[in-house]
Amino acid sequence: MSFSLLQILGCIVLYLTVLFTVALVAERGWLPRRIARHPAVYVLSLGVWAGAYAIYGVSELAILHGYNFLLYYLGVVLMFVLGTLFLQPLLRISRVYQLSSVADLLTFRFRSDGVGAAITVAMCITVLPLLALQIQAVADSIHVLAGDREYLLSGPARHDGLAFLFCFIITIFALLFGTRSHPQHPRNEGLVVAIAFESLVKLICLLGVMVGAVYGAFGGFEGMNAWLAESKAARDVLETPVRGELARGLLLVFFTGAVAMPHIFHMAFAENTDSRHLRAATWGMPLYLLLLSIPVLPTAWAAMKMEQPFPLDYSVLGVGLSLQNSSLSVAAFVAGLSAASATIIVTTLALANMILKHLVLPRQILSIDRNQSIYRQLAWLRRALITALILGGYLFFRIVSGHQSLTHLALVAFAGTLQFLPGIVATLYWPSANRSGLLCGLAAGLGVWFVMLLLPMVMVSEAAFATQLQQQWFGASEHPWVGPTTASLALNCVVFVLVSLVTRTSEDEQVAAEICSMDDLSRPVRHSLVFGSCDEFIQALSTSLGETTARNEVQRALRELQFDADETRPYALRRLRARIEANLSGLLGPAVAHDIINRSIPLAANTGTEDINLIERNLERAQVHFTGLAADLDNLRRHYRQILNNLPVGVCSLGADGEILLWNRNMELTTGIAAHDVLGSHLDSLATPWGEVIGNFSRDPAETALRREVTDDTGASRWISLHKTPEGLAESGEDRVLLMEDITDAQRMEQDLLHNERLASIGRLAAGVAHEVGNPITGIACLAQNLEYEDDLGEIRHTATDILKQTDRVTRIVESLVNFSHVGSSSGDLNLTPCNVADCVDEATSLLALDSSARPVRFLNDCDRETLVLADSQRLLQVFLNLLGNARDASEDHGDIRISENRMPGAVQIHFDDQGSGIPPAVQSRVFEPFYTTKDPGEGTGLGLALVYSIIEDMGGAISLTSPTLPNQAGGTRFTLQLPETSYEALLDSQSAAAENARLEP
Amino acid sequence: MYINRALVLLIGLAIIFFPTIAEWITNGDTTWYRPYQLWLLVVIAAYWNQRTRYPDEL
Repeated sequence: MSFSLLQILGCIVLYLTVLFTVALVAERGWLPRRIARHPAVYVLSLGVWAGAYAIYGVSELAILHGYNFLLYYLGVVLMFVLGTLFLQPLLRISRVYQLSSVADLLTFRFRSDGVGAAITVAMCITVLPLLALQIQAVADSIHVLAGDREYLLSGPARHDGLAFLFCFIITIFALLFGTRSHPQHPRNEGLVVAIAFESLVKLICLLGVMVGAVYGAFGGFEGMNAWLAESKAARDVLETPVRGELARGLLLVFFTGAVAMPHIFHMAFAENTDSRHLRAATWGMPLYLLLLSIPVLPTAWAAMKMEQPFPLDYSVLGVGLSLQNSSLSVAAFVAGLSAASATIIVTTLALANMILKHLVLPRQILSIDRNQSIYRQLAWLRRALITALILGGYLFFRIVSGHQSLTHLALVAFAGTLQFLPGIVATLYWPSANRSGLLCGLAAGLGVWFVMLLLPMVMVSEAAFATQLQQQWFGASEHPWVGPTTASLALNCVVFVLVSLVTRTSEDEQVAAEICSMDDLSRPVRHSLVFGSCDEFIQALSTSLGETTARNEVQRALRELQFDADETRPYALRRLRARIEANLSGLLGPAVAHDIINRSIPLAANTGTEDINLIERNLERAQVHFTGLAADLDNLRRHYRQILNNLPVGVCSLGADGEILLWNRNMELTTGIAAHDVLGSHLDSLATPWGEVIGNFSRDPAETALRREVTDDTGASRWISLHKTPEGLAESGEDRVLLMEDITDAQRMEQDLLHNERLASIGRLAAGVAHEVGNPITGIACLAQNLEYEDDLGEIRHTATDILKQTDRVTRIVESLVNFSHVGSSSGDLNLTPCNVADCVDEATSLLALDSSARPVRFLNDCDRETLVLADSQRLLQVFLNLLGNARDASEDHGDIRISENRMPGAVQIHFDDQGSGIPPAVQSRVFEPFYTTKDPGEGTGLGLALVYSIIEDMGGAISLTSPTLPNQAGGTRFTLQLPETSYEALLDSQSAAAENARLEP
Repeated sequence: MYINRALVLLIGLAIIFFPTIAEWITNGDTTWYRPYQLWLLVVIAAYWNQRTRYPDEL
């Protein structure tokens, strides 16, 4: 039984068309999203691992080495079961930084486009045998189906046009599959679904072939077991021990291949959109491979029983032909075709991306026209590279065809990719590794691999020489590939380690090593950016990418981060920059992306402190992973964080560049601004009035600002006090801490108390007022009575003048009292104007004189009549009243109280000296505290001096206390006020301004 | 460096018991699908290990 070539080619085209349709259906969104995005689809797409070798070549291993064939699968199973060791950390880095190949990964880690180029070239060479394997498997299987047994047995005749025809067809489909998706889409949905479909097809076909072969050859599974019990040859093979160099070698190369091979890396990491899918693969992939491996032994035994005439590689195909069952033959062929096409498509796509990112773009082999769409140009370049790679695979096939079995081709390819293992392990686990070590180790390992394994394969004349070398170095062996493979890896590792230890690791590499290391808690660095908006980003990137692409990339990053286009927060812009770099890395490769970003969106010089916000975000996200001491530390962090957040004062932490790093709950309550709105913002971007208030204070050299009034947009006032860390700390690059206390309630209470205190003073003065007013009134009454009897006009006029004098006296007394009663009643608004100190003192003494019950003292006003200070006259009067009242209370009867002043540059000092008993040193520090008094109960409220202090502070002055007045004197107290000096010119200006205002008012 | 302790234990046990398991599998007196039974156990264990994990944290 055989098939015609036309039938076979028709079958190939039909199958690939079905495959393309599946991809198209998925890509257009016609397939329900829950199916296309199901973890099972991702797991099945990883089945790309099982190429043509898994369908055909494994049979040879099983027939010759028994259960050792399982190591082909178990290497991968081990890699997935131990997913947390390699796959999950690799996925983390790959997804965050958009790395889609081993070259991307190692370029990112070792920060060198030279590394990327070297890895790409090495990967292309090592993967050539794998591509040739796929082509050979399909070409040979066509010959088997066509019944050309001689072609397979007489090697050199095998490379006919069929292989080229297959390459041509698969190239068309690879171009259709690989380059359809838009580069801005994170996942090539069509490709993933199509590869998953292929995995399903080959599994079903193989299981079908197994059932057909067992029932056809043995009459069922019981018959097969019976045959197995009787067949000594089959049982002997099964009892081949799974140990020794063969087992070690197989496990090593296939374990590494599961992460280093470009096609599996691409499907596992570049096409992953959810880390949960990879976790599903930790059991899903072993299950899939279990199902895929079950048919191997029964089918091989059926082939043994049927004694099919084809090479062992193709026993799966041969069974169907021997049983004259065309369905079995077609199923086996479709399984092989499916596996080979999937491997070729994904491998060439992955390699094309690598070449593009690490050879073409960084080396500027082909220049990109920035006036046209970069995406379209990249797609065309990718298509050209895919074609060239498949052609390269075909040429390699032509060179080796007929000389090598599928197993040999597979082992050489996998032994080559084994050389990338040290680099991958060091990326995750060895931060001290550097690019020199990597390149030297790779060169040494690949050198051994090339001479001992690849060269004998491509140059038959050198095979004897290589075999001789192998025997000399590793002794005679049944499996000559194992020795060179192990030796190349060992040499690679030793050279890598030694060179890394003796050469310097660059700063760039150290940063990347921290990011890549298994320690999830990398320390993000907070750099300042030169640009402050998204538009500036677009403008800067336009020079490298063209305006359209730059705009697209910035908008894409904004969309992914869920930021607005008018974003200006430094924290957000830093994340935007990192995201654009990651996205460009996926498009152009990490080296080119890093270069473009560094050039276009540079970081400000001399910046780079730890990014607290990002660290906290990472910690919050990683909390579930912490155990033991790490968990304790995290709990401690949360505890202190909570304390800080719940403090009854506002706490705000600022970076050296003014970026807000901390904004606790009290700050939110006081300002009405939520933490998530301001964290990462610049201080100046805070809403009015807080940006100005806090910004000005942070720039002010003063470390404290007391009783500052802040009025918001609605006109509501708050009173705050501000404190900050000393300037010295901030200068040394430390973050600054700013405390804000809301004292609105206390301030209002104080104003109420001030008013009450004044009323109390008025009460105390009331008796004196009555007496003072009573005397002139009595005088006026007497004069008025005399007027009744007075006829002399001169006397009448004289009496009227006296009455007017008495009336003036009353008016003065009442005015003083009214003036005093108005002090502080105007809700704390200061009206700073030039005030004559001497006049103010006079008024205060006049008021005090009204209190007849007070101690009789003499007030001596020595102030210069010309001296003016800038103050609120009503408040200054209150201050003088309190100080002079206290001085009077402290003085002896008929004692002197002297008020004097002396001028200083820009200020005036006013002294109030009494000759009383003085204030003990222990008490002096407390006299300005509210409610502190040394007077008897009922005589003082303890608020007088506190109010004086408060008023003087508000007016920008200072107050101090000296007691005793002179060093060697027992008593006497001096209060000294210091207030800004002003002049008559200023007084005139202020008066004319007031007049102007009065004129303008209706 | 953070490595799951359970994983280290698993690798240690696998290294210690691999020769015994390999010999048990290739023992001629047993059924041919014995390795697959063992493999299935590994699949179940892997499923058990990942089932109580967390949402996509990348």
